[in-house]
This record gives sequence, structure tokens and C-alpha cells, in this order.
Amino acid sequence: MHKEHAEKAHHVEGEQGDEMRILYSVCLLIFAVGVTTTTSASPREQVRAEAEETARLLAKLLEAGRLVIEHNQPLIDDPHRGDKGFTAEVFEQQLREEFRKKTDLDLSTLSRRSSTFTVPPLARELLPALIEASKEVVNDAQLVINQRGISYKNFIPATYGSQAAARFSKRSHVRLKQTALQPRNPKNEPDEYERSVLQWLSGRPNGEAYVSELTDAGQILRVIMPIYYLPECLACHGNPQGEWDISGYPREGANEGDLAGAISVRIPLEAR
Amino acid sequence: MAVFDGHPLLKGCAKCPYTAWPQPRQRTLGLVFTLVSILLLQGCGLIFDAVKLVHPVSANELDAICRRGEIHVGMAVEPFRPFVFPALWTDEGARVTGLDAELVRLLSDALTERCGTQVAPQLHLIRFRDLFLLLNEGRLDFFVSAVARGTPSPARAGIAYSSSYFGEGGLTGISRRPEILEMIQVRLRHGGSGSGASALKGLAIAVQDGTDAYWYAQAFLQPGRLIVCDSLPAAFEYGESDGIAPLDIILGAQPVLDFVVKTTHRDWRSLHDEQGHPLMFTQADYAVVMAEESYSLRWLINDTIFKLRTSGRLDSMRRRWLEESYAYPRRASTEGLSFDVRQMPAHYAQGTCRESSSR
Repeated sequence: MHKEHAEKAHHVEGEQGDEMRILYSVCLLIFAVGVTTTTSASPREQVRAEAEETARLLAKLLEAGRLVIEHNQPLIDDPHRGDKGFTAEVFEQQLREEFRKKTDLDLSTLSRRSSTFTVPPLARELLPALIEASKEVVNDAQLVINQRGISYKNFIPATYGSQAAARFSKRSHVRLKQTALQPRNPKNEPDEYERSVLQWLSGRPNGEAYVSELTDAGQILRVIMPIYYLPECLACHGNPQGEWDISGYPREGANEGDLAGAISVRIPLEAR
Repeated sequence: MAVFDGHPLLKGCAKCPYTAWPQPRQRTLGLVFTLVSILLLQGCGLIFDAVKLVHPVSANELDAICRRGEIHVGMAVEPFRPFVFPALWTDEGARVTGLDAELVRLLSDALTERCGTQVAPQLHLIRFRDLFLLLNEGRLDFFVSAVARGTPSPARAGIAYSSSYFGEGGLTGISRRPEILEMIQVRLRHGGSGSGASALKGLAIAVQDGTDAYWYAQAFLQPGRLIVCDSLPAAFEYGESDGIAPLDIILGAQPVLDFVVKTTHRDWRSLHDEQGHPLMFTQADYAVVMAEESYSLRWLINDTIFKLRTSGRLDSMRRRWLEESYAYPRRASTEGLSFDVRQMPAHYAQGTCRESSSR
């Protein structure tokens, strides 16, 4: 894997780092556009392009789900209401809307061939699977969410994301995961590759860029999409550092915009 | 055969030999056959009994648990902190934690050792009052939820208790109204010893349905109003609402109420006697509850509790859950028990309170 690391944009160190990151972001944009237009790319490049766009959309969808949970956190934690009405169907509706805001892509048109944005066939197959896994999580959590008299229920973006990603990964050849350099959930511990990318990302200004790379002699596509702390996150992850938050974990002492972690996608290219 | 001729319903069946009325000889044979069958059946029973005496290998409830590889455990969906905390969502899914959950895990470990194969706890989170019902229906192997041993109640017929795993139970009361706390102090001063129950006379008292507090209130108290609630959170909600008839006291398990007023409902105060000790209405030990005929299981649970006590584990569990400072969501994530959420949709609500009509 280290051999392939030499090709990575994020391995450029020093003053060239930021320039390269910007260049990398531009390249990704061109690449994404290329997916929609290219007809002359080699089959191998097409497979990679399709996989990369699929990985990007999956990460965006999981991120959108996390945001929906975050927006509904006051409702979920309302101790005075029993049935919150935050059903899997309500969640799905909001998820589709949040995803549309992030990607300009309407998930309801996925099945139509005449979509203006060409969504790769792999994504057409996997995005609905992730929606289903996410809905299952919200559905199973109804018992917890609808408890009356209990405020904090630990149904938060992170716990939703862990479960949705795990359920999705069990049913597909694609592995989806939340990770961080110092995760609260040991199961989200980064592997060697994820750690190296997270270390590269930390300390750099946040943005929309993500890292994409072929590993394992070109057999595996890895995509790492960073997540940054929003103001709402800081109640648990902010200051004072080390003091317990409501869930019993020591606060990280983070500030708004700091790197919180990443959504990691791993797609074997030969499995298709 | 001619007797059936003309009968509209049986006409078509007259050709069928089995529908024809038997001849006298056949009737006699049938009678003899029936009598012999009855005698044989009785004989079979005796044979079965004899076999059981000679070769007592018939399956008991422990063998059944070992074969299943799982044990069906009931736990109250209403929280009894710190014995049973509310269900939480964790990275691993929905989880329940608490002292009782830790005990369930230890009992499952003991069963695993006894069976020689993994015995996993299958947790059923259901309303407290339904635990007894489901146990009697044979749908649970046992249940735990800060249940006091030997509480006299018609709803508890046919059940048995293990030996005690927690010895500092008993009933006490809490109030958020200073004038009520003061009034009870005055009554205790003037009432002398043994006047705990009479100190509550005429007050508005809330209890959780089916619990020891409920049965104690039915047996001893003369409240002005007895308010029966589906859960402790429902009692708090009732007591904290701005109704025209305020609630004076919540009566319940002392370790539970003591924990709650220290953690989540700090504006409530425990009742105390003249010496400043918690005002106790009963003494109680908590135990695991199972069917009366689950003799083998009871032996195993009693033995496990004995070992936990002598090893100091029960003491450390008590300290860990009742004295240490901790956040239960983290413990739920790391050591909580899972449960099948699809089976519990009807049980999640904390419920409401209503005035008992018998008072």
C-alpha cells in the first residue's frame, strides 16, 4: 500500500500542500464532470470514475442522514413528548431533501434514465440500499426515541451513522464507516490508510475536498470524506476539554471547523 | 340403513360405511376396544412414572435453557435507576444497562458454564406489571427489576424468589413541597415510634402500579388520594404539573428514589425520621423472580448469587452503580444488554397517573 501512497496528492508536504489540495479539489471537480461526459475513457478509468462518484455520493448521503438527526435533536430529546412522529418515513423525506441540498441530486429520479445528472449504475444500486439501512436504524430506534420522561437518549448523529454504515456494509461489497483519529467508539478506530489521511487532513483548513486513491495494486478504491465540527457538535465535543459530556465521554476541546473525523468508503473494483 | 333414507343431510352419506350406525355386534366390539384403550393409557402413565423413577433423565428447565442456548429474561421498561436505566441508542443499537443488567450478564455467564455452551440473554423489556403475567405464561425464564422478595400480593401467586442480591431495599417517600416534609416531621415527633404509615394519613400519595409501594399502600395507608401511575417518570410528571390537586408524596423503592433525587430530580427531597435517617416504611431485599417450579434454575441462581456475594462482586456492583460518579450512556455503550425492539412497540410509553377508585 505504501507504494501507492507515493501517488497521493495528500502526501505532498510543506508549502506546496495547500496548493496541491486546491489543485486536487479542482481535479476532483473536473473528474466529476468528466464522469458525466466522457465517452473516450478506457474501461479501467470508467470503472474507477464510477466507483469514485458512487463513493462520494454514499458519503454525502450518510453525512446528510447525520445532519437530519442533528436538526431533529431537540425533538428527539424532548422529554415531554411521547410519540415524536419522527418515523422512518419522515426521516427519509428529510434525508432526500438534505441530500438534494448537498448534491443537487434528486434521489427520486434515480431510477429514471433521463436524469440530467448521470448517476453511475453502481450508485443507483447502492444509494437506495443505504437509505433502507438508514430507515431501519430510525425504525428500530423508535422505542428509544418515543420514550416520554427521558430527555437524552443517545440517538445522535454518531450513533445513527455507526449503525447505518454497519448495516449497509453487511449487505453490500462496499464498506462504509465513520472514523476519527481518536474515536469514541473503538469499532471506528481508523486503519493504517485512514489514519494517514486523517493526519494529513487535520491541521488543514476545512473545505469540500475529499481524498480518493487506489490501493492494493489498484484493486481497491478508498475515498475519505472529512467531517468538520459544527456549532451544534460542541456541546459534547467542545470545551472544557476533558470534562464529561452528557453521554459520559470526556469532551475533546474542539472548536467549530476543526476536523471531527471522516466518512470512509472502500470499494473493491474487481468485485463488480 | 333405511333409517337415513329421506334425510336431506345424510342421504348422500348413506353409501359410506363409516357413516352408518354400527350393528349391535360392532357396538360391543367398539365398547371393549375403548375400555382396553383407557386401561392401556393408565398403564402407560404408570410406565412413564416408573421410568422416571428408575432413570430420571427427564428434561428440567435448565436442560431446556441449555438446548436453546438462550435465556428469556424480563426487565421493566420503566426505569428503576440505577438498577434498570432507560433504554438508550448506542453505536451497537438499543441497549439497557444498570445493576440488574450486570446481574443478568453474570447469571448468563453462570448458565454458559453450567451448559458447556454459550447461553445468551434474550432481554424482554416490558411493563413492570406485565412481567408477572409473562412469567406465569411461561414466556420468561426469570426477571429482575429491583423486585422485593416475598411481597404479599395476589398477582404474585405461583412465583418464587431467589436469594437476595441486594439487601438495602425497602420503601420510602419523597416530596418537593417543604410544607409536607415539615408536616411529616411534626407528625413523627408527636406520633412516637412505628408511626411511619400514619404520618402519611390524608396525603396525596403516588405509587407505581404493581410495585411493592402499590401493595403496601393498599395494605396500610390511609391517603387522602392514592394516585396510581404507570411508571416513576409518570409520577414525577404528575407531581410537577400545575394541577389543582397537588401531589404530596411519591412512595417507592428507597435506593431508586434516593438515586433519582440525587441525579435527575434534585428539587425533590427524601423523607427523614427525627434522627435524620431516611424514613423507611418497610425493609426489603431484592431478588430474581422465576416460576415456582423452576427448582433447578433457582438452585443455580442462588448458587451464583452466593458466589458473587462471597467473592465481593455484589458489594462492588452496589458501589459501582449506587455510589460512583458515572454517566450511564457510556456504560450502556460498553456493557449494556441488547433487546429485541420489534417485540416491544407497545411498551415504550411511560404512561400516565390516575386516582385509585378504591379510596
